[in-house]
Order: sequence, then C-alpha cells, then structure tokens
Amino acid sequence: MPTNALRHGRSRLHGLVVVGLLVTLAPFLMGQTVGSGILTGKVTNASGDAVANTTVTATNVDTGQARTVTTGTEGTYRFDMLPSGSYRVKFEAAGFNTMEIPPTTVSGTVAAVLDETLEATAGGKVTAPQENLPNAPSSNTAAPSLSDLGLTPEQTQGNAREQALLDKRTHMLRIHQRMGLITTIPLIATLATSLNAGGKNTSTSSRYLHAALGGVTGDLYFITAYYAIRAPRIAGTETRGPIRFHKAMAWIHGPGMILTPILGIMAFDQKSNGEKVHGIASAHAPVAIVTAGAFGAALLSVSFKF
Amino acid sequence: MDKRIFIAFLLAVPPTFAAADSQWILKQSTLTYHVSHPLHQSEGVSHAAKGKGVCHAGQCDFLIAVPVKSFDSGDSNRDLHMLQVTRGAEFPLVTVRTRLPESAETSAMVNADLEIQFAGQTAKYKQVPFKLETQNGETHITGTIPATLTDFKMEPPTLLTMPVKNEIPVRVDMTWLPQP
Repeated sequence: MPTNALRHGRSRLHGLVVVGLLVTLAPFLMGQTVGSGILTGKVTNASGDAVANTTVTATNVDTGQARTVTTGTEGTYRFDMLPSGSYRVKFEAAGFNTMEIPPTTVSGTVAAVLDETLEATAGGKVTAPQENLPNAPSSNTAAPSLSDLGLTPEQTQGNAREQALLDKRTHMLRIHQRMGLITTIPLIATLATSLNAGGKNTSTSSRYLHAALGGVTGDLYFITAYYAIRAPRIAGTETRGPIRFHKAMAWIHGPGMILTPILGIMAFDQKSNGEKVHGIASAHAPVAIVTAGAFGAALLSVSFKF
Repeated sequence: MDKRIFIAFLLAVPPTFAAADSQWILKQSTLTYHVSHPLHQSEGVSHAAKGKGVCHAGQCDFLIAVPVKSFDSGDSNRDLHMLQVTRGAEFPLVTVRTRLPESAETSAMVNADLEIQFAGQTAKYKQVPFKLETQNGETHITGTIPATLTDFKMEPPTLLTMPVKNEIPVRVDMTWLPQP
C-alpha cells in the first residue's frame, strides 16, 4: 500500500514528465503550426458539378512564390505543406472565366478550405471576345492560360464515366488476350491428336483424347470470345488498323468453332460404329483446319506488325 | 524645355513597350510519341496542339495543350488502350509550360525547362534541347522530349503479357508565328 508521500512523489514526477515533454516538443509543435499549413477546396460550376482539370495557383502575397495543382475528377484540390502566410488563389479552367480571389490566410492551425464556383464563358463556349478565339493573341500580358487557347469544355473536362468504361474495356480485353493465348495450347494439341483420331488404324482412346482436347479448346474459346463480345464499346470510335482484320477473322473462326464439334460428334459416332466417315461429317477436318487457321491469323494480326 | 523632354520621352518609349508585349501563336504542329515493345514499334501522331506565348520584360511564357484523344497510331484498338493507360478520359489534355528569354528567338538552339501535366501528374524536364530555324517570319522548332511512363506514374501497357518499354520519347515539330 503506497503512502501519501509516495503518491505525491509519483504525481509530481508525472507532472514533471509532462512539463518536460511539452518544453521539449514545443519548438516542433510551434514549427508545425506556424511553419506550414494546408489549403484545400472544391471547384464547381454554376450547377454545382465538379470541374476537373482546373489549374489552381496559390501565390504567396509576401514572397511571390507560387504553387500550382490541378483538380481531379471530383473537382477537389489540395496544397500540402504550404508555408504560412497570405495567398492569392487563381482558378483557371477552359470554358470558364478565370477567377482570382482576394488573399486568404494559411496557417498551421487548421486546413484552410476554399471552395470556388466558376462561371462559364458566354454560352459555355469560348466564342467572344476576339482574344479568346483559337490561337488569337490577347492583350493580356500574364502567362497564357488554357482559356486563351480556345479549347472547348468537351476537350478540357474530364469524364470519369468514360474513364471507368475504358478501364473495364481494357480489363476485359486483357483477359480476352490471355485466354486466347491459353486456348492455343489445347487447340494445337487437338490438331496434333487428329492424326491418330481420323485415320484408318485409329483406336477408341485416340478418338476420346482428340474429342476431350477439342472440348477443352471449345470451352476456352467461348470464354475468350465472351470477354471480347462483352467488353464495353466506346462511342464515337471508328475501327481502324490491324484490329479490323482481327475482328474479320472472328466471322470465320466463330462459326467454325460451333460447326467443328458438331461435325466432330457425327464423325466420332460413324467411326465408333465401324463406318468410314461420310457425308457432311467428312467436312470436320477441313472446317477444323480453316477455323484453326483463322484463329491463328487473328492472334498474329494483333501480335506482330506486318 | 520640359515639353521637349516629354515629347522625346513619348517618341522613345512606345517601341520599348511594343517589344515587351509581343506574343506568339502556334501555327501548326506535329507531336509524335514512340512506343517500343519486343514485337512492335509504334508511333502516335497528333496535329491538334494549340499554343500561345506571351512575352513580357524579356521573358516569354509559353503554353501548349494537346488533347490526349487526338493522338492517332493508325490502330483504333491501340489508341483506346493508350487512352485508358494515360487516363485520357479523366485528364483529357497534355499541357506543356515553359519560359524562354525573348532573345532565344535568334538562336539556332535553345534549352528549355518544361513543365508537363499529363495523366493527372506533373513532370519537369530540365534543359531539353530544341533546334530553332526562322524563315519567312516563322520560327520552326524541333526536338524530342525524353518522357517516360514512370514520370507520369503510368503502368506499362502489355501485349501478349510483355510490357512496353518505359521510354516514350515525344518528337516535337512546331511552327510559331510572332504577333506584334
């Protein structure tokens, strides 16, 4: 059981430790609060929608030092470790009037929040005056801004939805590409085993192996096709270049991949009954070869430059 | 006497001011990026850059902007992949800012410090050499910006699981017109 004197001694010791810590850390804490701060905010248009790609410039009134950041898709911006002081903040976005606000104070105590609403130029387009026309000189002697270049809002405003669509498209086509490569392995194996499956001296096991490999190829092929067919289309994109040939080949290997197993089953049954493969089933091998050829050509067309 | 000094001052000063406020406009441009892959060498070209230079007190501030979508490699699939990798829908413009002394106009070579905003990132390139040629009042500028994918925190696109090289040099070919 501690005595009162001992308790007092301990509390005094705790007090001394706390005071000591405060004295030791004070310069650092002061440095944090006085030295630098954060300036953050959101830029919106008159409708309250976020304005991405706005150039925000904070210029220290005393030193003239300037820092620039760009707003993201949410319209937000943030200056970290901004030396404490008074700042003029300029907002520039194509299709909007440049805004410069009166000096605001940044200190280390709390983050300064500065939201801004930008006004669109006349009609939302950069039309008048003359100096705002594309590449026309202006009487402004300040550094040129995006609005001086005559770019339309469509050209300058980010579109998060379209980016998400592009991300999804790339993700699906990457799987399509990998699955296509994987499919070539059982495809080649199926072609190789066809030599023992269709001749005069064939065994049941050779036919089963060939059929099983053909089945695996078909399954993988349709998974591959799924990722290409379901990949999002990007509006306003005209198909140009080797991808046209790649897509054209799909009109050959696609139906071929459906027809080949159907003809294969028929040929398999005829062969299992001891018959010679006849009728439409005899087209199994040629159709399979054309299909595999079109598949290979499609693969090579996007892999190498001819 | 005072009047004479004043008139002399008026006659002398306007040319100085006119020279101080000159501007440049980008007449035409060809920007070409080059991508290297073990199986492919491809290039994307844009002629859609817009630019302006404003000169004041012997220094010219230039701003050039080009839509990411405007680069054409001749393959729509590759262009869409590049658009995705470069976050071109989210950040549709590449902007280049530089400041050059007005006297650089008469030089055959100029080394420019460039600040490039691309894919939501800003990269700075120091002392990038450009060749200048002035003919018929137009200034023709050529050079190569040594850009890399990592400068803009981009993941290298892959083909057949093989990534492209990190270096994506951009050839610049621009014609600028001075404006009084």
